[in-house]
This record gives sequence, structure tokens and C-alpha cells, in this order.
Amino acid sequence: MIDVIVIGAGPAGLAGAITCAEYGLQVTVIDEFVRPGGRLIGQLHQEPSGEWWNGIKESSRMHNEAQKRSVDIRCGVSVYNLEKDKDCWNVHTNIGTLIAPYVLVATGAAEFPIPVPGWTLPGVMSIGAAQVMTNVHRVEVGKKGIIIGANILAFAILNELQIAGINVEHIVLPEKSPLSQSAGEPEEVLKSLLNASHLAPSPILRFGSRFMKNKGFRKLGMKFYPKRGVKVNGTPLQLRKAALEILGKDQVEGVLTAEIDASGNVIKGTEKIYEADFVCIAGGLYPLAELTAVAGCPFQYVPELGGHVPLHSEKMETPLEGLFVAGNITGIESGKIAMAQGTTAGISIAKHAGKGSTDINKKLDQALKNVHTVRQNAAIQFNPEIANGRRRIYELWNDLYGKRQDSLQEIG
Amino acid sequence: MNNNEALVICRCEEVTYGQVFATAKEHQCTSRELKLRTRAGMGFCGGRTCRVMVDRIIESIVPNTGEGEIPLKYQPPIRPITFGTAGEKND
Repeated sequence: MIDVIVIGAGPAGLAGAITCAEYGLQVTVIDEFVRPGGRLIGQLHQEPSGEWWNGIKESSRMHNEAQKRSVDIRCGVSVYNLEKDKDCWNVHTNIGTLIAPYVLVATGAAEFPIPVPGWTLPGVMSIGAAQVMTNVHRVEVGKKGIIIGANILAFAILNELQIAGINVEHIVLPEKSPLSQSAGEPEEVLKSLLNASHLAPSPILRFGSRFMKNKGFRKLGMKFYPKRGVKVNGTPLQLRKAALEILGKDQVEGVLTAEIDASGNVIKGTEKIYEADFVCIAGGLYPLAELTAVAGCPFQYVPELGGHVPLHSEKMETPLEGLFVAGNITGIESGKIAMAQGTTAGISIAKHAGKGSTDINKKLDQALKNVHTVRQNAAIQFNPEIANGRRRIYELWNDLYGKRQDSLQEIG
Repeated sequence: MNNNEALVICRCEEVTYGQVFATAKEHQCTSRELKLRTRAGMGFCGGRTCRVMVDRIIESIVPNTGEGEIPLKYQPPIRPITFGTAGEKND
């Protein structure tokens, strides 16, 4: 008999599983990948404090903790459907159907694809794939790389590639189009990078974070942006260059680029070929919420959170009884926040299951506060407006379900 | 995007940007109709890569496309499985 099924063994899922087990619940965690840890196992960066964040270490610590508490972790298991049957959730997987009254969906995020002509050539990969190959599989992705797309995730992984001794020669933008949208507009990209100045230690971005909140300054900044780019840890970030096509016969041989104006329009006659043997496309992340969608959960579009997110409360409940969410499925943020959310979800589940003593409400409040604290101290912020996005979804929840919540608490 | 007619959007069904764009323009339709007309998103992977692009093409062509609901519905199975698995034969 399983009490809780956790889908996803990343930071949110493992934290949730550990917390549920602490409250005496029988927990099974399933994950598609061959080992637990989720995207944590790809992460390696230095915090502003100078301390290193080693995702592999963090994931083994959590894995051990979960094992100590007899959490059943099954890797290499894919969930293809999730449906409610009377009082229980049926989790349909490639090893059969698992049944439990509570399910925590912690499926994380997926990468936005940005199609570029030639992107089906061998040697083209998403930036996340380069991270996994480098830090998880320890495979050298190539000798000479180009990143298409400038965002926080790209910078974080660029740094990891550099630490591994992999040479990335340019960061350029995708060509502006209905598919790349604002990722192809230098001014918009600069705006989105303002909060990343500590990750991209260069004068123009440091200058940026102070003055470029003003649109006029931003325009000016883009106008005088150096053609050769500014260096991000040694790799030129070329906000005024766009990738027009990835070239190669049987595999990547280079990228055809051109200069672009501040709005992203190609300046004719400026075409230039950069040699490369691998290309990473960095389109950013969006919440991977397909399972909550097939389960029947209502959604809300919140751009600050990365797109469509399942409606949920701050306590990580969804409108569907027994279904909880945590981590990047609720909005794109860093792994530490996912952990804090997982803990919150775990306490919430324990509370719904009638576990814990009279102080469980206090524990839940502490967990909620902890999420805020971790967010305030986060080294990597994916969206500067994240707190607003969070507030919007919680307000919406309170408008729609707040009353129901109160009545439930009174009965309980 | 001028010379990107042949740019592959849906790898499973080999549907190009040109085909998807022209169909969206001609029919001014929903993401679902665009999917059914072109087969973009109907392949083996279930639209994991191209779903976002199908939605974005519609957003860029059809005015007032709502952002609130998920444009292209998710349906089980959300992972490729065998008929045996679907029939719960797991031996």
C-alpha cells in the first residue's frame, strides 16, 4: 500500500518524498532518468558568497536521506497517464499502474526550442543537453562551440562548459521571427539580462543593471553595443549578431551570422561565417505540466513563471483533491527553491493525510516562509518579476478556492 | 524569416515552417486545426518539440488568440508506449 506517489526525483520531488516519509507516509518516487537527482545532477556553479553549488553532491545527499527513510525510488519509469479513480489516483507507467491517494507532480521544466535552419544537423543540441552530456555523462560535446540565444540558463551552462575545458567561441542571438520572438530582439534580451549582471561580469551589464531599467538608456546602450560583443567569462556575448543558418554537410561545420540592429533586423551585407563543430540552442525553460493537464487540472498563463502553470496554492495544492505540485512545474526558478517547495508540498500532503501533531500548521507556515527566504537569497534568478508572478497565481487561487479552503479547515 | 520555407518544425512528421505558416495563413485557424491539417505535432514524440512553435505560429498570424488556456490539448498517452503497455500487459 502506497500513500504518496512522487513523480520526478529532482530537488522538489526528493524533498517532498523525504518530508512525507518523515511524517510516516509510505512513499514511492518514480523518475524517467536512470538515476535520481533530476536537473540537479547537471548543476555546478559558484555562489556570490564564493561557495560552490555541486548538484551531484546535493542529489546524493537527498538520495541517501530518502533511502534512510525507506522511500522507494524507481528510476527508468515513465508515466504516460494520470487519472482519478474514486478516492485514489492511478499513475499509469511503463511498469504498470501504481495507485495512491496522494500524488506529488514534480516534473520540472522543458526547454523552449528555437528552430534555426540547419538545426537538424548532428552537432546541434539544446543547451540543456550540452549540460547533461558534460556534467552527467562526462562526454565532450565538441571542440569549438557557438551558443544561439542569450539568457540566464545559457550563461550558467556556458560557465559549466568552460569549467569542463570546453571551448565556446561566441554567443549570438537567434534571428528575429515569430518563432524566436523576443529572444531575437537585442533590446529585449538586454532587459531580461539586467538581473544577471553578477553572472555576466562585464562593465556593460553592470552598467546595465543600474541605468538600463530606463528604456532610453537601453536604446542608447544597444546602439553603442560593441560589434565584437562583451566578454562573458571570456566568451564574447554578441547581442548585435544573429544566427541565420547552421551550416554543414554531414555535421555542424559553422554558423552563418549577420549583424542586426537594436530591434533585431538583419543588416544586409554583413554576413559572416563562424566555424564551429557544435551548436547549442538556448531558448529558455517552461514548466513541464503535461501530466497535470491530462489529470484535468485548470491552468493559468503567467509569463513571469515561464508560461502555462497548473493552478495551485502557496501550500502546493491543486484544485484536484490529493494532487499536489512542486518545483519548476509551478514556475521557473532555481533548484534550492524547488527543494523548499518540495518540503512545503510534503507537509501539505501530511496534513491532508491527517498526519503530524497539532503543530503541523506552524510547520507549514515555517516552510512557506522558508520558500520566500530562499527566493530572496537566490543566486540565479530566471525572471526578475518572479515574485509578482507568484503573487498573481496565489491571489487567483484565493479568489477561486479560498472559501473552500476555509471550510475544509473548519471541518478538519 | 525569408528563406526558411524548408526549415523543419516537426521532426517526427517532417513538416516544414513553410507548410505550417502557409496553412495557418490560409485557414486562420486554431492550433488544433493547424495540427490536424499539417500533422505537425502528431508524430511519435507527441509534439514535445514542436507544440510550442505551432502555438506561436498561430499567435503570430491569428489575432486575439487567447493565452489563458493551453492552446493545444494534452492527451494520454503523453509518452510513446506499446499497445501492450496500454492494455496493461506488463510481462
